Amino acid sequence: MLLDIFDPKAPPKPIGIDLGTTHSVLAYVRDERPVAVTTCDGGPLLPSVVHYGEHGQVIVGRSALSHLETEPERTLASVKRFMGRGWGDPQLGRLGTYRFVEPRSDEEARVVRFDLGEESRTPIEVSAEILRSLVRSASEQLRTVGPAVITVPAYFDDAQRQATRDAARLAGLEVLRLINEPTAAALAYGLESRSEGTFAIYDLGGGTFDITLLRLEDGVFQVKSTGGDSALGGDDMDRALAERMLAAMGFEDAREAPKPVIALVLSAARDAKHRLTDSEHAALTLPKRGGGDVRVEISRAEFEALIAPLLERTGKAARRALRDAQLQATELDGVILVGGATRVPYVRRYVGELFGRPPLADIDPDLVVAYGAALQADQISHDRGDTLLLDVLPLSLGVETMGGAVDRILPRNTTIPVGAKATFTTYADNQTGFELHIVQGERELARDCRSLARFTLKGIPPLPAGQARLEVSFHVDENSLLRVHARELSTGVEQSVEVKPSYGLTDEQVEEMLVDALDHGEDDFEQRRLAEARVEAARLLLATDKALAADADLLDQSERQAVPEHAERLRRALAEDGAEIGAQASRLQALSQALDSATHAWAGRRMDRAFQAALAGRDVSQVAGRVEHARGVEAHLSEHQRAEDQKGAT
Amino acid sequence: MAHPFEILGLAPSFALDPSVLEQRQRELNRALHPDRHAGKSPAERRQALSRAMDINLAYRTLRDPASRAEALFALLGAPSTRESTISDPALLMEMMEQREALEEARRAGDHGRLQAIGRAMAEREREVLGKLAAAFAPLLAGPPSPEAREAQLASARQLLAELRYVRRFAEEIAAFEDD
Repeated sequence: MLLDIFDPKAPPKPIGIDLGTTHSVLAYVRDERPVAVTTCDGGPLLPSVVHYGEHGQVIVGRSALSHLETEPERTLASVKRFMGRGWGDPQLGRLGTYRFVEPRSDEEARVVRFDLGEESRTPIEVSAEILRSLVRSASEQLRTVGPAVITVPAYFDDAQRQATRDAARLAGLEVLRLINEPTAAALAYGLESRSEGTFAIYDLGGGTFDITLLRLEDGVFQVKSTGGDSALGGDDMDRALAERMLAAMGFEDAREAPKPVIALVLSAARDAKHRLTDSEHAALTLPKRGGGDVRVEISRAEFEALIAPLLERTGKAARRALRDAQLQATELDGVILVGGATRVPYVRRYVGELFGRPPLADIDPDLVVAYGAALQADQISHDRGDTLLLDVLPLSLGVETMGGAVDRILPRNTTIPVGAKATFTTYADNQTGFELHIVQGERELARDCRSLARFTLKGIPPLPAGQARLEVSFHVDENSLLRVHARELSTGVEQSVEVKPSYGLTDEQVEEMLVDALDHGEDDFEQRRLAEARVEAARLLLATDKALAADADLLDQSERQAVPEHAERLRRALAEDGAEIGAQASRLQALSQALDSATHAWAGRRMDRAFQAALAGRDVSQVAGRVEHARGVEAHLSEHQRAEDQKGAT
Repeated sequence: MAHPFEILGLAPSFALDPSVLEQRQRELNRALHPDRHAGKSPAERRQALSRAMDINLAYRTLRDPASRAEALFALLGAPSTRESTISDPALLMEMMEQREALEEARRAGDHGRLQAIGRAMAEREREVLGKLAAAFAPLLAGPPSPEAREAQLASARQLLAELRYVRRFAEEIAAFEDD
């Protein structure tokens, strides 16, 4: 076995994390191959279970799992189902051992809170504990753990993605990118076998189902369409089995069973499901309601009948995804299986029939997602290789209009990042406020979609109906996270409002939790702020130096003086020491901000050059009117190349 | 903002080869996608993100034939055509008959018949796309006489309305087939 030799100057190792419903995995790239880190449980899979002990101790993984039966109310499993969910979400009514804190205000109702007796936790905090445990294990093996790529189900909406990112921030991780789980899986397969073609990724995990159609061409992985169900998975198979068992035990209505009994039966159901993978029958003895035992025997055929409706739902989503991508099942070059639930023989058979070909499962379906995430983290942070991952918006984004209908601004399956604008007008005379309700989903009525944000734009000058013009712009970044701006155009008065999501946590709340989580509160927090400001400043200086070396010719006259000056000021501040920690951090942040502003316009010109370079050298007939300009840039580039060569020679 | 053809560095045309469009989108994303600028300064990352956003919106606009037609109308300085309806009586009659046939097949659960209507609609869509390409070509080629231009614009608008109708129809069939 090769050992990594500890090098104190080695850059932090980029990592990939699959934050799963039933278990989580952390992987990194060593010698160009993904490797999963051994977790505190001794294997690569860390059960996504957190136990909060009565004396404040927090236990994660298999040891926490063992508390699920004895102290179900203090032990939280499958919390991924509640990420980004608020009070009143249908998810809360499902069969489980959770107790929720009833909210006392609308503010509190935005985020689900698990009741732990004297205290409570949000799904974000629970997920952060899982991430911390993984990172701890990784630190023991890698020493310096770097920025992370974290995977989410392709079907996750904006709220669920924001919550995942908040959990990572809370765990002190720098997030390079959130990527979709099935895309990560395809990345693992694609990068290792260098194949090109069109693939379907059928991902049936513990709690979510995703179907993604992906095209690999010229080193670009492009999602063609994605669909699925963020509330369907292997857990549902367990539940279907558990309900059948509870009925045999005398609980006709499964919800009448006490929490410890439900926990016991769910665990027995999981066990039966695993046994039915290899054998035709599973027999088990369970306690009968009111005393005594009952022997329950389940055949594979019976199990398959129980889960058939679940698989039908996956088939329907798959057909829709094919239609969205304008593809026939016969045009696919392969089907990749992801997720532990795809080990069930019936699932493999069903997928084979659905796509008319046997599915691929060469890579462990429990590790393939983390492997892909690790490869992507390695790529992004080293700007290595030529592979690019283009994701799509999983669900349409729109605005509620008069009468409760939805005006779709960005339809699902649009390649991201993407920005779009729409203009709205007033419907009443002298209307001075404008209420905007932003929703996500495919349904016709706003009330059937996911509500993302609501806000009122005030101060519109009184005008006749239809005269005011409100421009709403949507910006979806590469992680599929949304920002909305609105401004009133008619009078030339601009008002810009940045929408804060109507769910999840504010930056201040995350900061508060961070302070709480650190042992010494404020002091540690300031130390950490300074450390981050230093890293950020050093990174900014490095990037600026590189940009000056490459594109100094694009600086205008005032910038030619200002940019190096701002850089020098920051460099000096970085070298200074001794000031009070908080003040020093703030100074570095302010100087970084100043340098950033000074380089803004120049960065735009650099991007124009990158754009022209991408067009240059292409089939000239397609470039039409731009040819001349593009040639000019080519000349620039060759001059620049000569300059670089000369530099290299001296 | 610049029009989508300019953003992608393509010559305006309705008969756009989808593979050329896709290739261009891939190349530009390869240069400007934020993942390509992860190690750069925040200013550069912002600029890259903003350009990648424009590129992908332009791609989305040009990929769909109806919005591509709209983009061309905008480029030609002709008003938006979102509201326009089909005015050709023969076409209207034909569409009504097709709709009745669809309803009937749906009630009877006749999948063979539904598929046949679906195929007829797909054929029709190809036909309309060809006509639209032919209608836009002279408009984009050069300045014709004002009267000729008006006539060409009107005919292109009719074709766009027909395209929308045919596609909605095809979607309904597909949605029914899914269930």
